[in-house]
Amino acid sequence: MQQEPPATIVELDVRDLEPPEPMQLALAAIAALGEGEKLRMLHHREPYPLYSILQQRGFSHRTTELADGSYEILISR
Amino acid sequence: MSMAALSLEQAPPISVPFRFFLSAPLFLLLAATAWLLAGSDALASRWTPAMLGITHLLTLGFMAMIMCGAMLQLLPVLAGAPVPHPRLVAWLIHLPLLGGTLLLAYGLYFYAALPLKLAMLLLAFALAAFLLAAIYSLARAPARNDSTRAMLLALAALTLTLGLGLLLAAGVANLATIPVLSLTALHAAWGLLGWTALLVAGVAYQVVPMFQLTPAYPRLATRWLAASLFVLLLLWSAHPLLPDDAASLLARLAGMGIAVCLGVFAILTLHLQFKRKRRVADVTRQFWQLGMASLLAAIVLWLGAQASTAIAASAAFPLVLGMLFILGFALSVIIGMLYKIVPFLIWFHLQSILPAKQVPHMKEIIADSGARWHLRAHLLCLPLFLLSTLWLQPWMYAAGAALMLNGILLLGNLYRALRRYLRGASLAAASSAAGKQ
Repeated sequence: MQQEPPATIVELDVRDLEPPEPMQLALAAIAALGEGEKLRMLHHREPYPLYSILQQRGFSHRTTELADGSYEILISR
Repeated sequence: MSMAALSLEQAPPISVPFRFFLSAPLFLLLAATAWLLAGSDALASRWTPAMLGITHLLTLGFMAMIMCGAMLQLLPVLAGAPVPHPRLVAWLIHLPLLGGTLLLAYGLYFYAALPLKLAMLLLAFALAAFLLAAIYSLARAPARNDSTRAMLLALAALTLTLGLGLLLAAGVANLATIPVLSLTALHAAWGLLGWTALLVAGVAYQVVPMFQLTPAYPRLATRWLAASLFVLLLLWSAHPLLPDDAASLLARLAGMGIAVCLGVFAILTLHLQFKRKRRVADVTRQFWQLGMASLLAAIVLWLGAQASTAIAASAAFPLVLGMLFILGFALSVIIGMLYKIVPFLIWFHLQSILPAKQVPHMKEIIADSGARWHLRAHLLCLPLFLLSTLWLQPWMYAAGAALMLNGILLLGNLYRALRRYLRGASLAAASSAAGKQ
């Protein structure tokens, strides 16, 4: 039986960027996201305003707090 | 609540915070005018009617005005906690806060009972509406962290400040007999060291690393600072309940503890700014450095007064202490924050209605040169006010003029930013109208 190929993950680290660059880059990255691709974003805080935009545009996200206090946000369609 | 409503509410309409931001500089102009008209009599002590009026033009008209407006805006961004019915809530807070502050300042300045009574009603209404909205939102916030906990403590401190302020106003308006001296000390402590310092800390934990690209505040500090400050303020407030000797010991120890908490916050903030990741000139950082340096100066002065009765007994001591805290610390930090929040807000709203190419860069929304001129005028203010407490004229006229200039430059920068937004919004409206035809 053929296994489904693992989803390609696009990486985006915005931890050292000043607002509004993290949101600008995230919006550009999700617009460019291909079929089956996911965006893995690293952020120094939880981007609540981005969440509401993701929701409006039909993306789902899963946020995990990392050991160093930053956040990993996994975004997919 | 439906998902659509949630995301619409997530960012309140831009008119919600902006009405607060645009009203606040007018109170700087009013405070400067009142200062210039009052003449040197105003500076005889912290208790002169003019000084009480001017203090409230600054603390309520400028500081609380911006802090309330900014909190309605920042709760969804920092805590994921949108304020329900933001437009209505903004109406319920803004106008009574504006009218109430004008009446309070008038009533204190001219010692008039009727304006004071009306001010009590309006301010109680405005701040109760704000407290209810903010506490309700924070209680439902998905984020529970050191920053939201500090904000909740700040709101509790504002509740106490308001209650004590109402009691004091009732006393001045001859509605009640109250121990004015001790209640004023409590009112000022909860307003400045509680509400103001706690909110600045709670917001700083998130906003300093975010906008100034510094390392994060250490967990140990964010976990304990705000709670310790709050408990120490409670202990300090309770000291009159003890017998004399124990009371003065408790007041002294709690006071020292408060000084240590605020000192740690200021030094830590300066240290983090020093270790920032991007070494570019930044007006907000400079406003904050001035704010933290003023806070440290206020702490040193207060410690000096504990050691020397000559300092503690001088009429200039409470005036200088108040100026360092209000003009030097609170105003600098609040203005510095505005120069980040306002451009971000306008960018955020424009990017949702304009094509990417037409959205101005955040740095173009308030010109760096405009903010820098404001910083220079603001830098002049504090030394001129301090000089006026020592050698009245001509410094007090120069100080009044510098405060006036401060308000004018802030108003000008905010007004230009708003025009920038309105231009973008009319572009978007024109293109959507063209699209429909």
